[in-house]
Amino acid sequence: MKAVLLDGIVLGLGFGLLGVGLTLVYGLGGVLNLAYGELAVLGAMVVSLVKDAGAPLALAAVAGVAAAMAAAVLLDLTVMRPVYRQSGEHRVLLGLLVTLGVAFLIEGLLNWRDPLGALTVDIGGGPIGIFGVPMPMSSIWASAITLGAGAILVVFLGATTFGRAIRSVMQDEVGARLVGISPSFTRTVIFALSGALAGLVAVTSAMSSPLTVTQGFDLTSFALIVTVVGGLGSVTGAFLAGLLLGIVDTLSAYYVGQYITSVVLLGAAGLTILIRPRGLLGR
Amino acid sequence: MVVRVVRSLRSGTPVARSGLAALLPVAGTAVVLAVLPPIWFGRSTYTTGLAIITLVFASYAVGFNVIFGSTSQLFLCVGALAGIGGYATALFSDSASLPVFVGVLLGTLIAAIVGGVLSWIAVRRSLGVIFTGILTLVFSLAFQNLLLGQRQLTGGSTGHELKAAATTLADDRVGGYYLFAALVVIFLIVFRLIQTSHVGWAFRALRDDETAAELTGIDVSRYRVYAAVVGSAMIGLTGGLYAYSDGFINPTTFAFNQIDVLVLVMVVFGGLGSLLGPLLGAGVFEAVDQLLSSSGQIREFLYGLMIVALFLGFRRGLVPALGRLARRPVVPASPLQPRTDDGPAVPSAT
Repeated sequence: MKAVLLDGIVLGLGFGLLGVGLTLVYGLGGVLNLAYGELAVLGAMVVSLVKDAGAPLALAAVAGVAAAMAAAVLLDLTVMRPVYRQSGEHRVLLGLLVTLGVAFLIEGLLNWRDPLGALTVDIGGGPIGIFGVPMPMSSIWASAITLGAGAILVVFLGATTFGRAIRSVMQDEVGARLVGISPSFTRTVIFALSGALAGLVAVTSAMSSPLTVTQGFDLTSFALIVTVVGGLGSVTGAFLAGLLLGIVDTLSAYYVGQYITSVVLLGAAGLTILIRPRGLLGR
Repeated sequence: MVVRVVRSLRSGTPVARSGLAALLPVAGTAVVLAVLPPIWFGRSTYTTGLAIITLVFASYAVGFNVIFGSTSQLFLCVGALAGIGGYATALFSDSASLPVFVGVLLGTLIAAIVGGVLSWIAVRRSLGVIFTGILTLVFSLAFQNLLLGQRQLTGGSTGHELKAAATTLADDRVGGYYLFAALVVIFLIVFRLIQTSHVGWAFRALRDDETAAELTGIDVSRYRVYAAVVGSAMIGLTGGLYAYSDGFINPTTFAFNQIDVLVLVMVVFGGLGSLLGPLLGAGVFEAVDQLLSSSGQIREFLYGLMIVALFLGFRRGLVPALGRLARRPVVPASPLQPRTDDGPAVPSAT
């Protein structure tokens, strides 16, 4: 039981980080980036390419994160520009549809280059006992990286001037523009951040199980569930929801079974929309 | 605001024509669909098979058009609704050994109820486009996982072979073609009748400006649920008939990326809310799909490119574009003629 719970927390942290990347972009102008999971997969494939070329793991990981980040920035500078020129529901809808197309585009590209591609990140070292439960080294590394990234993110958004600028755009685009903040530049930064998070999640999740080319859509839907439960646009909400759903996931997978677990997670998202559409901590 | 509604009602597509004249485009489509096999592809089972797929998708697209095109409810569960129809047909006719048509009817009914409930929830909680989309997407994914998980009932990922399948339809493809051609024509008639009735007026009003429509006394919630029920019934019926005519279904048959994405592209390309748009969109899409099929692995990439280009550059759709062309004084044609002539563009495979 204790082991299942700890596994749940490890998984939940990963979920949380995945959700944060999606929720940031949504919070900043209402676009739900359906290509998000594909960005993670793209990052993973770059990691595996660089790693196979003989580079050390850390360098490969950095290259992967940078690739996902670059792809996100490219996305923002090209196809998202016309989307952000719209407003209201038009923007929401167009953003949804365009990023859906981009998801296909990236998945098709990766499938075409390397249909069997998969990333496994092998962390050496034996299990370490935590609360009497032997935890594999990979889980500890993944959780540490996730927590570190989460802490940096919270400090960045909460305590730096630029972080405040970002939050001001989230609250009121027009108001932010009036005090001299450029929404489009802020968006580019947030897209870069979101891409980097996607790449990071790809690396940490590949530590425990291989990440294949076909998993992009799954990642997107997990991120979507986390985001919905946590509240669209809320960073702490996403982490909270990630932890909660991670624990529910492992418990349910342990006691009930895998397919039902997916239904349970999706049901959680559905129920959240029904009972509290703004999510746990949404505005 | 009232002025705005009235103006929007007038400036909409020319559908206020009364009586039989309103059904003229549908009649033209029916004639085109009827003569296509003998004059074009009736001999080739392969091409006829493609034509059937096109018509099946056109049927889904008309149903989706009722829901999304008419009342702006983003239902990302077309595949799931079709799957309800398909699996209900399979299970009721095989496991409960009811006649096939009872299975199809029950499937249609269940799909209609599910669609109606989803819409009712969305309306009651006043979810916007994005939350309706997420809710229905979540429903799709959950349904998919249920199909995979309930192995003893659905056969899981190996799929389900229908014992009651229409062997004659499967062998003689032309029979299947006419079945789905008839279905599309019936759906189009229903769509046209809705468009010309008071319900259609309400649909156009609430799509243009929800608040204004509400203020003029239109019960927006009720009409949204109506649209969802009718559209979901269409989708469920198509799914059931597809299962019946094909004889084999598995969860992938009704998966989100197999159905929903394509239907969305077809409807947007054809023209949201237009009568013949979904059919045209399905035809053009299948034609492009055939052209791309030789490109092998890169096909999905090209799909993605197409979707992005389509949504960024061609959002208004084919039928409205043709309509505008036709209304130009330079081309003195009736707005009806260029639409019906275009039919489903199914390519020859050879």
